[in-house]
Amino acid sequence: MSIAEELSALRDEALDAVVSATDLDSLEAVRIAYLGKKGSLTAVLRGLGSLSAEERPAAGKLSNEVRIALEEALTQKRSRLESEALASRISAQAVDVTLPGRQRMPGKRHVIHQVVDEIVQTFVGLGYEIGEGPEVELDYYNFTALNHPADHPARALQDTFYVRDLSGDRAVVEGESDVLLRTHTSPVQVHTMETKKPPIYVLAPGKVYRRDVADPSHLPQFTQIEGLVVDEGITFGDLKGTLEHFVKRMFGDVSRVRLRPHFFPFTEPSAEVDISCGICGGEGCRSCGGEGWLEILGCGMVDPNVFRHVGIDPERYSGFAFGMGAERIAALKYGIPDLRLFIEGDMRFLRQF
Amino acid sequence: MRVSLKWLSELVDIDVDVSTLCDRLDMTGTKVEAVHMTGATLDGVVVGQVLTKDPHPEADKLSCCTVDVGEAEALSIVCGATNFKAGDKVPVATVGATLPNGMTIKKAKLRGQVSMGMMCSSTELAVGGDASGLLILPEDAPIGVAYGTYAGLSDTVLELEVTPNRPDCLSMVGVAREVGAVMGSPFKTPASLPEEAGAPAAGAVTVRVDNPDLCPRYTARVMRGVKVGPSPDWLVQRITAAGARPINNVVDVTNYILFELGQPLHAFDLDKIAASGGKAEIIVRTAIEGEELKTLDGQVRRLAADTLVIADTRGPVALAGVMGGEDSEVSDQTVDVLLESACFDTSTTSRTSRRLGLISEASLRFERGVDPELAARASDRAAQLLAEVSGGTVAPGIVDVYPAAPEPCVLRLRGERLRAIIGAPITDDEAASILVSLGLTLEPAEDGFDVTVPTFRPDLVREIDLIEEVVRVWGMERVPSTFPGGRERVGALTAGQQRDLSIGVALRAAGLNEHIGYAFADPRDMERLGWELGPDEVPVELINPMSEEQAVMRWTLAAGLLRAVSYNQRRGAGDVHIYELGNVFVTAPGRKQPKQRLMVGGVLAGAWERPSWDQDARPLDFFDGKGAVETLLTELGVDRVKFRTSERAWLQAGRSADVIVRGDVVGWIGEVAPQVLDAYGATGPVTMFELGVAPLGKAGTRTRAYSEVPRYPSVNLDIALVVDEEVTSEQLVHAMTSAGGKLLDGIRLFDVYRDPQDAPAGERRLPEGKKSLAFSLSYRSNEQTLSDEVVRPVHEKLLAKVCRATGAEVRG
Repeated sequence: MSIAEELSALRDEALDAVVSATDLDSLEAVRIAYLGKKGSLTAVLRGLGSLSAEERPAAGKLSNEVRIALEEALTQKRSRLESEALASRISAQAVDVTLPGRQRMPGKRHVIHQVVDEIVQTFVGLGYEIGEGPEVELDYYNFTALNHPADHPARALQDTFYVRDLSGDRAVVEGESDVLLRTHTSPVQVHTMETKKPPIYVLAPGKVYRRDVADPSHLPQFTQIEGLVVDEGITFGDLKGTLEHFVKRMFGDVSRVRLRPHFFPFTEPSAEVDISCGICGGEGCRSCGGEGWLEILGCGMVDPNVFRHVGIDPERYSGFAFGMGAERIAALKYGIPDLRLFIEGDMRFLRQF
Repeated sequence: MRVSLKWLSELVDIDVDVSTLCDRLDMTGTKVEAVHMTGATLDGVVVGQVLTKDPHPEADKLSCCTVDVGEAEALSIVCGATNFKAGDKVPVATVGATLPNGMTIKKAKLRGQVSMGMMCSSTELAVGGDASGLLILPEDAPIGVAYGTYAGLSDTVLELEVTPNRPDCLSMVGVAREVGAVMGSPFKTPASLPEEAGAPAAGAVTVRVDNPDLCPRYTARVMRGVKVGPSPDWLVQRITAAGARPINNVVDVTNYILFELGQPLHAFDLDKIAASGGKAEIIVRTAIEGEELKTLDGQVRRLAADTLVIADTRGPVALAGVMGGEDSEVSDQTVDVLLESACFDTSTTSRTSRRLGLISEASLRFERGVDPELAARASDRAAQLLAEVSGGTVAPGIVDVYPAAPEPCVLRLRGERLRAIIGAPITDDEAASILVSLGLTLEPAEDGFDVTVPTFRPDLVREIDLIEEVVRVWGMERVPSTFPGGRERVGALTAGQQRDLSIGVALRAAGLNEHIGYAFADPRDMERLGWELGPDEVPVELINPMSEEQAVMRWTLAAGLLRAVSYNQRRGAGDVHIYELGNVFVTAPGRKQPKQRLMVGGVLAGAWERPSWDQDARPLDFFDGKGAVETLLTELGVDRVKFRTSERAWLQAGRSADVIVRGDVVGWIGEVAPQVLDAYGATGPVTMFELGVAPLGKAGTRTRAYSEVPRYPSVNLDIALVVDEEVTSEQLVHAMTSAGGKLLDGIRLFDVYRDPQDAPAGERRLPEGKKSLAFSLSYRSNEQTLSDEVVRPVHEKLLAKVCRATGAEVRG
């Protein structure tokens, strides 16, 4: 057999071996068998030196072609086997993507405080600071300085929680006490005006207490948000513009706002603010009692008597104040049917918002 | 205040529909709370004519009738009344009709005879007070027509919310005046002078007022020969629409005047008032402590010394302005009436009404203020009406004790001031015409008007009150919306407010949900928790709590948090992780206002999550709570924190600690003791913590200093140290830190090993009373990559020092 025939046979045999290799290991075995240090093609190549000078170039050329062809076949096959192996590995790792993910649930802000935060942000954006005051108040701050007459019905034992006064002082109103749980956040108005000179732009959220039995629409403890502005040249129009801005931020641009004249002892003129019912859009439905309007806050111009109690000249300064209940706003905004849910601490409620 | 539109339209022109009227009232400060259609309740009641009337075969007192109600067939009706005959026209309630008393008419059998409806009396239809027999209708009443339509009964009644500053609107006349002003239509005040006859009233009654400050005016009139009986239908309908129950013609007239003019009246049986020298003596005075009066509702009231009463020489006969006495009540036998029309002080009335829990139409009006000028006018009108409906005669004159008529109140309204407060271009002329329409009189002044306020508007005492009147009628909706223009304001939160927000952010990031609980506590929580307040401190006690469970203010968040755990566990929501940021309160003897402290507390029970397809639910314990606290302290920038074993009654010994910041105890953490869990109905393990916010804020810092990010790799070496049980992790870390030198970059505890308690001797890997703690130490330099040769000697030295300091042995 000539060297050419030998090389040709060897090539056919090697290429067959490449084709029949089924995995990377058997392919490597083929490579070693032909091209390894002891491989059969290597042996042929080594044997070229013993050929005559006439035979050598042709045999050298042919054997080189066989080597290249074999190497190419090996490379191609390896790349194919590699991608097959990758594909099968990937397919073995496939998961059901509809299985639940591993969540690390962060805790939730209480929905009432979410509402408070949103309101605080709106008013801080308008240049307000946040005011504070004690929850156990003195009668003076809760009633007297806010222009409530001594026999105002809100002062009655059935409406206001009174606290045992251990100072031995005699109560202004007999049988009651001058220490009480504040019934509104309005005393913060008085504290603020006592400690700060105008201009005053203050928002005061906080807990308040009234003697109501807890039921779907009442709580003995709830959250109010008070606003107070005292500056030169403050008008009723400023109050109106401010509250309209707030309502649109809170309930969206579609809400309409109306101010209805009302009475509060510590503001004059006073108004209640209604927003158009979000459910019926003002047509009248069960939620709004057929009126098309939902009452959300009370407001008015600071009464000159209140200014006098804190030594602010009502001829130089004017101001407005407003107050609203966070529970009511949250109930309206999220459609919560029973206010008691806010205070029971049920995890399934707390995690909803 | 219930306002019949039929009645109202006799006093003021209303030429708009009901909903326009309601909107306008709403927008001018008189909120319409409800609109009732009356007369509609008489659906199914029609005019019928009795065709035949025969005795019932089995009952003497019943008769069997056939009645034509305009249908093809006449109805058979069994009837118990006797005042009618065949041919009479009567109101007939047909089957299915519901009467005002709630009775629904059904097909019935009465002693074997079928009855297909009911013929009605005026009482049954609530259109009159005559219950003695059927309401016989005029002959021309059209058969088959709805009775409500025929009788003109249908009416619209508005329920108005009258604010406390508007006592004038608690009367039809006041509402008519208000409607006239806001609708721009004329209104009229009904007035009448009675025809007087007989001996003058002054000869029959004397009045003495001992407390003119509490009773600025008292008038008495005398009516003779009154015949007490049912009121005419128009009167019954009026007072029923206003919300009162018809009683008799005398009482009904006093109620009518109360609703019409806003003047509460009281009618006494003149013969029941003690007389001397032939004159009944009325004395208005304060009660003597312990005096008693049986009021109209039959209850005996014990009177306090500041209660104002109407008395005769024997004792009290009425609670002034609140309720009359039973003994001097007008009854069927009454012949002569003493009619009181007076004015009582607002505070006195409200105190008495509040103290006795007695709220009447009269007390509601007196406690808001009744115009003293009205008393005589109302008495005149009542006397005239009473004469009309009871046939009595009015004795000439009024006994009137009115020592000081109020001075007219004159106020200056400045046009510029009005516009400056409202911020709207309201002209002086507009303001003037609004005030005039409300019944005020104006004189021009240099910068506006001098306004004279009528006595029926006691709420108008300052310029600002007039400004409010103008803007509410002019229209708040017309005021242009603006923003305040102040230049010197900056909106911002204080550092403390930012800190409170950060506390929530950290705890929520740690997995806790925010809770807002009651600030009330149960005094028995003290015992349940085994809590002890500081020396001299006592809980803040409520004088009028809603319940024993909420009788004091909380002094800790702990009890409320435990209640929340128990609440959730009872409802099958056992995975509880909540926190609360809120105030707690304590006081001390001699202290007026309690101390208020802001606290943050948290509680953990169950697991973070329910078991899932690839994760178990690990029960939460002490270290989950501690982790939350550590997250919080890190977020607040609080360093030098120590956890020191402590014993607190509500926590389980050995699984509780004080949280110490820079040497001060700022709070506690631990698993709740079993007996405390039992007391709150909770199931353990429950881990709870509470920290004072103020000390955390003081210790924390919001600024963070930069430290270089590592550029070279660290060399990590693991060691296991075998130590006595008593040696704490903190002691070992402390020893390592002080021995490590500057190359020691980090210490991480990754294992704590103890031999299982029940391990047989051969399988014990540690000596008795020992534990093994495994740490990973990382060494690092900022100048170079460390080699083993550099680290080894440092590490060996560290081990030697730690072992010497703590008695540890390095575990092989």
